[in-house]
Amino acid sequence: MKDSKKMFILMEGILAALVILLVMVMFWGRNGEEREKVSVIIQNADDSQWSAFKYGLRMAAQDQDIEMFVVSTGKVLTAEEEKEVIEREMKQGADAVIVHLIPGDGTESMLKRLKKRIPVMLIESSVSTGGASAHFPVTKTDQYAMGAALADALLQDYSGKLEGKKLGILSESGESWKVSQREKGLSEALGEQDVKVLWSVGSRYMEEEEAFVEALPKVDLVIALDDHSLTLAGKVAAANNLHGALVYGIGHSTEAVYYLDTDIVRCLVVPDMFELGYQSLTELSKSLRSFFYAPQEQTVPYMILRREELFSKENQEILYTMNQ
Amino acid sequence: MIMLAFSLISFLIMLILGIGMYVRFSAASRQEIVQSTQKLMEQTGENLEDYLVGMRQISDAVYYNVIKENDFSGQDKEIQQGMNLLYEANRDNLRSIAVYNNYGSLMAAEPVASQKEDPNVTRQDWYEQAVGEMENMHFSTPHIQNLFDDEAFRYYWVISLSRVVELTDHGVPQFGVLLVDMDYSSISRMMKQINASNNGQYYYLCDSNGEIIYHTRQIQISHGIFDENSKNAAAYKDGVYEEVFEGERRKVIVNTISYTGWKLVGVIPYSVFTHGMFNIRYFIVLLMLLMAMMLGVVNRIVSVRISRPILKLNASVMEYEAGEQPEIYIGGSMEIRHLGDSIQRSYEQIDLLMRKIVMEQNERRKSELDALQSQINPHFLYNALDSITWMIEGERSEEAVFMISQLAKLFRISLAKGRTVITVKEELQHAQSYMNIQKVRYKNLFSVEFDVEPEICSCCMVKLVLQPLLENAINYGVNGMEDCGKIRVTGRQEEGTIILSVTDNGIGMSEEEVRFLLTDSNRIPKHGSGVGLVNVNNRIQILFGKEYGLRIASEPDEGTTVSIHVPLVPYTEENRKSLEKGYRFGVDTKETTEEEQQKK
Repeated sequence: MKDSKKMFILMEGILAALVILLVMVMFWGRNGEEREKVSVIIQNADDSQWSAFKYGLRMAAQDQDIEMFVVSTGKVLTAEEEKEVIEREMKQGADAVIVHLIPGDGTESMLKRLKKRIPVMLIESSVSTGGASAHFPVTKTDQYAMGAALADALLQDYSGKLEGKKLGILSESGESWKVSQREKGLSEALGEQDVKVLWSVGSRYMEEEEAFVEALPKVDLVIALDDHSLTLAGKVAAANNLHGALVYGIGHSTEAVYYLDTDIVRCLVVPDMFELGYQSLTELSKSLRSFFYAPQEQTVPYMILRREELFSKENQEILYTMNQ
Repeated sequence: MIMLAFSLISFLIMLILGIGMYVRFSAASRQEIVQSTQKLMEQTGENLEDYLVGMRQISDAVYYNVIKENDFSGQDKEIQQGMNLLYEANRDNLRSIAVYNNYGSLMAAEPVASQKEDPNVTRQDWYEQAVGEMENMHFSTPHIQNLFDDEAFRYYWVISLSRVVELTDHGVPQFGVLLVDMDYSSISRMMKQINASNNGQYYYLCDSNGEIIYHTRQIQISHGIFDENSKNAAAYKDGVYEEVFEGERRKVIVNTISYTGWKLVGVIPYSVFTHGMFNIRYFIVLLMLLMAMMLGVVNRIVSVRISRPILKLNASVMEYEAGEQPEIYIGGSMEIRHLGDSIQRSYEQIDLLMRKIVMEQNERRKSELDALQSQINPHFLYNALDSITWMIEGERSEEAVFMISQLAKLFRISLAKGRTVITVKEELQHAQSYMNIQKVRYKNLFSVEFDVEPEICSCCMVKLVLQPLLENAINYGVNGMEDCGKIRVTGRQEEGTIILSVTDNGIGMSEEEVRFLLTDSNRIPKHGSGVGLVNVNNRIQILFGKEYGLRIASEPDEGTTVSIHVPLVPYTEENRKSLEKGYRFGVDTKETTEEEQQKK
């Protein structure tokens, strides 16, 4: 009789424990529906050069069921301002951040502090200006390879004979690591070609930048190593103020494509910004969902666009992402 | 056990019920989801058809009302005006309207925009399709419009509706191609609306070849991140299909859009059904657990109600078997009450029978005792009368008188009002009388000494047990010894036992003789009646049990000690009666008391 009573109490106890457990699971499941929040901090976020990237982020957020928010930033963002934005986003409950880092003093230590608290993914950037970002996961394109691809396109157009050609290199001054890698790739691919780099200038959102470019000495070829420089060169060339120089460059905005379409730019190397956005967020989401997963470095592809095949099926997809 | 069995059966029934409920419910829910998806798709299909019909109507209107009615050479204003009217009326859904001649030259366009330098119109898909099948209108898949220059740097994603038209230029009829570029965002908007839910279910649009027109993961598909089974879906007729794609089981609902042959495809992965059922599953499990708890309680109550009377009955029977005499439990249901009642009556009958057997045994023992008692009296009487006869013959009248008076005392005690149990004191008195008689008879050839603890004098003793021992001590111990025979009678208590010993300093016996003395009843005595020691031993054991009786210790030429061992029982009338009835003191007392109570 006592045994049966004990068994009854035990059985009821187990059932009650299961009921409590189930209610807790149900309750937890209901609360657990809250999605992770990821903030994306990029300079000049509203600029069309980020369209494909933001579309990639949106698609990844949809696929991974993550709440993604691109922070609206000014056209020019200093390292200090960027730090403030990151801190503010963290305070506002961001579970992770994707940052297009602007190098500056204390950036590395700030990132280290940040990384201890939430997962961080850098895009197209490096912590130190030298490019050593071993401690931080980065999603990027192969900057060196893009520079080299640009040189290859140049060589292809001139049947490998660039002797006596004068080159001007236009780049964003604030993106020294990225630009230096691209420039390195370009110069190494050009190899022993007898080309003369007449000027190599930075053009980061300076006042009267168009006039500045116009005033540069005449060259045969202008190589724009980033989207901003390329659209600037395209704009100047469209106004016939580039002294007849042909423009080659790296870019990812519809403006850049437009200048290619209108034959102002001869060749365009386009980093897959959709993939950049998609992969960076997807990789970060893995880290958010698994405590033990550390986000890995991702390299995204790039394309070489020529006017002739600009509207091929594959390239139309790129244009589609840029138009979003 | 009853509860366990009940609970197990209940739980199994509940489990089957729960699973059945879940299966039924999930099937109904699945059906419901599929039906609602079908309805939504039908509605969206109708909207798409309306939209496409609208586009065709625009194309018709441009063709029949504008192009056919006017000559491009002289009525270009009218043409532009007509096209503008139609464009403005549908600008939300239109990107452009354009007419090209058979060389691919732009004849008219709305909105007015500068054409790109060399768009190579005749090589574009929509133009080739129109020229390829001149009698039909053709809807292209979405593409970038590559015709007009847009200084806002935008590239529009459009679906082209193209057809061959007959146009007149300078009075010469020729064929041309009318292009109506529909804004992709209109279709995209419609599709986005139905793809708003984020539960895994989605809808896409493809053409009859499986080329994607709209998909929520369009770019992921082109990038190879995601894959879609659109080629197969394009081959399906309208209906609901089940397929496994990339390891995922899913339902596919296909709805064909009229005229275009486009397929609106709804995809419901099975995980959607499961996801929808997740809370239901929890709820059913919770319900089952609560029901199991409740059933456990109910089963417990029911089983206790059934088993408690049985257990109580069992407990009372076990108590009874353990020697106690509880009331047999009679309670619970009618059957169990009947069972208890039967057991109770059985036990009562057994008790009755047992008492009867005990009584019969007691009676038999008493009869045996009486028979043994009756063996002594004639034996002694014979000896005493022999002595008196001898005295009278020798004219020793005083001694004879003493003898007779002692004999009278002896018989008074012997008779003892028919009692079998007397006090130790009376037994000693009887022994003294006997020894006085014997001393006279044996002319004081031996001496007798009594050394008895006074405490035991008031205890119970079997009548006439010392006398045979004394008789043996005289006959076998001191008889024949010249004036030095000594008989010593001692009495003491030792651990609840009274020990009365008769010790002589006679010739004694060998160990073997001692061993056979009490066991060999066929032994022929040398002196006396021959009933002495065995008789006494039996009488003691009948009254007090086998652990009591005589103990004999003897050494040849040293003497013999015969001890009587009986329990220390205070002499009361009650104890005496009990012993005489055969109830052993300390063992059968309770039975005696109860029996007496019953008699009372």
